[in-house]
Amino acid sequence: MPSVTNMLRDKNQHGQRRYSAFGLLRKGLSNQPWPRVWREVPLKDSYDVVIIGGGVHGLATAYYLAVNHGITNVAVVDKAYLGSGGSGRNTAIVRSNYLTPEGVAFYDRSLTLYNSMADDLNINVMFSERGHLTLAHNDSSLRTMHWRAEVNKLQDIDSSVIDPAEIKKIVPSLDVTSEARYPILGALYHPPGGIIRHDAVVWGYARAADAYGVEMHQKTEVLDILVEGGEGRDGKGAGGQVTGVMTNRGKISAPIVVNCTAGWASLISDMAGVDLPISTRPLQAAVTEPVKVFLPAVVVSGSLHTYVSQTDRGELVFGAAVDPYNNYSIRGSLEFTEGLAGHVMELMPGISRMKLLRQWAGLCDMTPDYSPIMGATPVEGFLCDVGWGTYGFKAGPVSGEAMAECIATEKMPAIIAAFGLERFAKGDLVGEKGAAAVGH
Amino acid sequence: MSTLSDRLSAQPGEIIDRSSKLRFTWNGKGVTGFAGDTIASALMANNVQVVSRSMKYHRPRGYMTADYWDPNGSVQLASEPNVRSGHRQLQEGMKVSAQNVWPSLDRDVRAVNGVLGRFLTAGFYYKTFMHPRSLWPTYEKVLATFAPGGKVDLDAPSGYFDKRYAHPDVVVAGGGPSGLAAAIDAARAGAKVMLVEHTHHLGGHLLWGSDGDRAVLAQLLTELAEADVEVLVDSTVTGRYEDNWIGISQRSHPGVEERLIKARAKMLVVAGGLIERPYVFEGNDLPGVMMSSAVRRSMAMYAVRPGSRAVVLSANAEGDAAVEALTAAGVEVAAVVDPRNGQDLVRAKGSRRVESVELADGRSVEADLLVIAAGWTSPTSLINMAGDRPSFDDSCGRFFPTDPPETVLVTGGMAGDGTTEEIVEHGRATGDLAARRASTVAHRLQAATTRAQSVDEIEPVWAADSRIALGRWSHPGLYRASTHGIVDYSEDVSSKDLVAAAKEGYDSVELLKRYTTATMGPSQGKLSTVNTVAILGEARGETIAEVGTTVWRPPFAPISLGALGGRKFEPIRVSAMHRWHEANGATPIIAGQWIRPEHYGDPAAEVRKTRSGVGLIDVSPLGKLDLQGADVPKLLNHLYTNTWNKLPIGGVRYGIMCAEDGIVLDDGVTGRLGENHYLMTTTSSGAATVWEWAENWLQTEHPDWDVSVTPVTTAYASMNLAGPKSREVLSSLVDDIDLDPEDFRYMQLRTGRIAGVDNCIMWRIGFTGELSFELHVPAGYGEAVWRSVMEAGAEFGITPFGLEGQRIMRLEKGHFIVGQDTDGLSLAPATGLDALIKLDKPDFAGKPELSWALENYEGPLVVAVQPVDPNVVPGEASQIIDPIDKRILGRITSARYSPTLERSVCLAQVEPQFATAGSRLTIKMIDGSLQEAVVQEHHAHFDPEGERLRG
Ligand SMILES: Cc1cc2nc3c(=O)[nH]c(=O)nc-3n(C[C@H](O)[C@H](O)[C@H](O)COP(=O)(O)OP(=O)(O)OC[C@H]3O[C@@H](n4cnc5c(N)ncnc54)[C@H](O)[C@@H]3O)c2cc1C
Repeated sequence: MPSVTNMLRDKNQHGQRRYSAFGLLRKGLSNQPWPRVWREVPLKDSYDVVIIGGGVHGLATAYYLAVNHGITNVAVVDKAYLGSGGSGRNTAIVRSNYLTPEGVAFYDRSLTLYNSMADDLNINVMFSERGHLTLAHNDSSLRTMHWRAEVNKLQDIDSSVIDPAEIKKIVPSLDVTSEARYPILGALYHPPGGIIRHDAVVWGYARAADAYGVEMHQKTEVLDILVEGGEGRDGKGAGGQVTGVMTNRGKISAPIVVNCTAGWASLISDMAGVDLPISTRPLQAAVTEPVKVFLPAVVVSGSLHTYVSQTDRGELVFGAAVDPYNNYSIRGSLEFTEGLAGHVMELMPGISRMKLLRQWAGLCDMTPDYSPIMGATPVEGFLCDVGWGTYGFKAGPVSGEAMAECIATEKMPAIIAAFGLERFAKGDLVGEKGAAAVGH
Repeated sequence: MSTLSDRLSAQPGEIIDRSSKLRFTWNGKGVTGFAGDTIASALMANNVQVVSRSMKYHRPRGYMTADYWDPNGSVQLASEPNVRSGHRQLQEGMKVSAQNVWPSLDRDVRAVNGVLGRFLTAGFYYKTFMHPRSLWPTYEKVLATFAPGGKVDLDAPSGYFDKRYAHPDVVVAGGGPSGLAAAIDAARAGAKVMLVEHTHHLGGHLLWGSDGDRAVLAQLLTELAEADVEVLVDSTVTGRYEDNWIGISQRSHPGVEERLIKARAKMLVVAGGLIERPYVFEGNDLPGVMMSSAVRRSMAMYAVRPGSRAVVLSANAEGDAAVEALTAAGVEVAAVVDPRNGQDLVRAKGSRRVESVELADGRSVEADLLVIAAGWTSPTSLINMAGDRPSFDDSCGRFFPTDPPETVLVTGGMAGDGTTEEIVEHGRATGDLAARRASTVAHRLQAATTRAQSVDEIEPVWAADSRIALGRWSHPGLYRASTHGIVDYSEDVSSKDLVAAAKEGYDSVELLKRYTTATMGPSQGKLSTVNTVAILGEARGETIAEVGTTVWRPPFAPISLGALGGRKFEPIRVSAMHRWHEANGATPIIAGQWIRPEHYGDPAAEVRKTRSGVGLIDVSPLGKLDLQGADVPKLLNHLYTNTWNKLPIGGVRYGIMCAEDGIVLDDGVTGRLGENHYLMTTTSSGAATVWEWAENWLQTEHPDWDVSVTPVTTAYASMNLAGPKSREVLSSLVDDIDLDPEDFRYMQLRTGRIAGVDNCIMWRIGFTGELSFELHVPAGYGEAVWRSVMEAGAEFGITPFGLEGQRIMRLEKGHFIVGQDTDGLSLAPATGLDALIKLDKPDFAGKPELSWALENYEGPLVVAVQPVDPNVVPGEASQIIDPIDKRILGRITSARYSPTLERSVCLAQVEPQFATAGSRLTIKMIDGSLQEAVVQEHHAHFDPEGERLRG
């Protein structure tokens, strides 16, 4: 398969498709429009693979199916617009300083893919490797930071525990005095961590997959999953074979259906008669009005249940831990903004006059061990890439790559071997709570 | 143009106080204004034409709406960025400057962006700055310097912020004619009313209306003064959350910079009025292009002349009124463009201000002011937040509520059109209806607390809505002229950008807004949302209704972090003995909310003295729950993994608790004080969790159990007297408790008098591994008892010891700490306490998982480990690895140098195949070096038989 850049270089009726400074100049001078990011095509009644969910996971899976395995008769269907789920609502923190060896290796591969993404997808995803600090305010969290640092070092991840003086050098706006109510005792510092333009990643995968012939179908909601021969109700469930999906736009046949619906994942898998140990919880976030840039790194505080970064546009982006109850509502709460503001002011007392501009929420598909569920299910042909909780954006590229391999080879790739659904029956959990509860 | 803005002669409705002159600076230059001015009106009166530069192209910008929402009007005050100059009142000595300009407002070098504009289309940055990859950080730094907004002064002291709770019957959002009338009539009908007005003045558009309008306002204000209404000006309803939980930002409370009022309102009346909508055409962002309401407000309230020669685009009566007002103020109206008669304009021209306006009929009219009255946007945020999806009415050119919940009523311009009298009437009827519905809500709330039968299933009978609906006046749908112009001023997004983005495939509102950032900036799309949707409709060949709108999210107007956070309110907890600790040289340690002694100078000496004689530690933070009722054993059986049926009165038992997934949640001892009375202790950090856990089971699964749970952590001061001499120390302090070891045994409790204090509880347990007595005394006597024990112990060489001494001793003794030696994956069998898991109980939290785990658990185990070199103390979290392939086999979870054994001792988690006694382990130290260690036979490094604590 030729690379995306080459594919996009091939001129078609739209003229220049490849993004570059030169392209911008030419378009500007000629007043010519850019071609569509992805085509609008009629929905066919059958595909080799139907991917449910047009977030980063679904789109990355489609892209790698095409580019790595030449499987292009693929439809990505989404009930709303591409990126309408968590992929368009997250706070875009990317890092690999996880706690378990399985987690570290996996997320590190994602970082590598993010690093070359601008080139691979020919779109500037604005990956800003600005450094990621997880603060410790008491001896037990300091111990956890050391634990993570030690595991990270064994996997060659750039990650270490630094002291308050070093923290102050990196982020001058933090209050590192002992006067603070919860003094900062140290931090886990992870220089390769950072933030990325989440929308660009979503659009980049969609555009690149489209260039290979993958179809994007927005406003296409899956209402049911068609399964034959299973042990459960209506022939669904274990032992069954997937035959397609029913959507609001009609039936689509497909021998392979992939569930990439994050917050809605357990509803979708239920349509196939597959139970997932997932509960859906809202996660909230907020931004302030823009101000001149003063915060150079991503700062996370587990004890204060908050994290903050500043975009290149100058907005502070805040997040916290998931809401403490199961819910499908994506309305923000007042309490969230109160707790958040109180806590970030503990960290940076100087920002009290900044103003909160907007708050929102997204849905998170939480698993008991804060690790994903990937690969085969008891229904033949029905695969899942779910359980992404509060931390799945950063995993998009590696998951797409691994899921594509899993679909094409019908084998579980080593890098995700630990994340199979069967681990819950076997008791082989991959505990990442210590590294993912607030840290995203 | 020669004469630009200056003050008009006294205006009948002006609100400035000409007798009170205020001095302030604008970009360092001294200027003056009057009390009552906004920063904007004062600047306008000082002939300031350009107040800001636009975000991307750095185009000069002047006042357009001259109110809170003016996308061009944000300025910098000394230590506050992004101040809305159209809203903030002028104060003596204010230092005001333009933000986002470099090097100065007049000569902004970034204005070259304007020249390059055709290349910097929306989303251009996604398409470039990719090569070479190594340069992106540099590009990024440059891009970041373009970030709009002011500067945060990180060293400025935090202001005083506060919060308040309120329980009004009715909150009225908006103090224009409809809101005033609603508040008055709701109060007259007996409701407790809060009227919230965003600006500094009540009256809304009546403030800049006709003489007749002002008379109506005067009448309403008289009625308001007589009605019992709490009026909050310069305050904003920022959000409507579940069940009318209303957030109000109050900026007008004396002595408080900004206050968050949280109101549980029975009814919300939305009377927020309308926002005048800009019109899209070439040059529509030039200084001198103003909304008709801005022009009229400036003249009527602040007596500033907005220009000298005007062109007015008037599509409605308000525009016509602006023509009249301008003429009356002596501003020449050079042309009126009336879209109702098919007229239109094409573009405005000028370099730093409007100089001429080109009309569709070919005329070019010289003017320094272009007034726009092209229609309104209905700021439906609050009803959006209440779950409503407003619908677009094409014939009126704006959105209307569709079906808000019964507890949210809409009046005024958002509800429809009418004469001032009709609007006031509608407001009154709305207030009355709100009061009646509020009493329905009140009855319901009462019923909910006083009746056993839940009211949740019973639909309330709402007072019917018999208001005479307001009309809907038709209005030309004016969004864009034949030329392209700016749609989102704060983001510098033009209609051309939007069309291009839609053609590129970003053709749903949400995609378009994300790609172009239209509506995402500081003015939250108040001015740009409808035009954005209209232009997308144009590109797609669809109507506005078909395109749909984006969801407006809270807050309605930005609110400071200070107000949201409120006063710093992180409680600090100390025990009743804290003063003693401070006076006796304790080094404090922060443990969650608690501050407690870590040690008193030398923790190793504290350990040695305790082991050889006696020591006393303050353990007040231990979680304590008082359990009473006949069914307490059922609760204990459910929470703990072991059995609690046969605990005798006077007995104490240890147990571990697991979550439903079998993961260790907490541990501790519970003692039985009486027939139906128990005291449970939890870990210090687990106190709140265990209380919630117990309540959760009782309230959801077992409401029939007779158990009351009362947290009494701080009702008792707790201390542990440990060491071989502890009994002797205690003997002089008790009279009604027999300390004879044959009578008062290990794992038993007694109640009685200690040091003259009644109602104390003492039990014999031993976290430190010594003979020890844990005393729980009424908190008020804590310090007195502590002092008595210290005095009685003096002759035995008693030492106080802190958390560190306790940690050393418990580690010597091999007691694990939940959350330190166990973690989020530790199933109960990991602790080696299988004997405490009783599967023969009918049920308990975690049982299914544990039944499986007892058979199949293959995860890491907690073991005691000793480094071969007794002087090596590995850092906690050091990994235990396979020295060959570096595979992780476990980790050190606790490590200390043991003063008792004079060697290092550890607890660790290791893979089961390395957990047997004698296994040799390789520890990778924090510094990277490797050390050998050996797994011990028993968890306890010291006194494994437990002779000492049973002594
Ligand atoms: C506020 C917030 C902050 C976060 N911060 C971070 C962070 O900093 N770093 C990080 O790594 N992760 C973060 N996350 C998590 C991350 O956003 C998600 O894990 C990730 O985006 C999941 O991607 P996805 O592609 O699996 O699912 P999504 O992006 O959620 O996509 C699922 C899609 O499925 C579609 N769908 C659902 N049901 C149907 C149906 N019946 N038919 C058709 N389509 C359907 C939805 O419309 C949706 O578009 C955050 C999440 C939130 C909410």
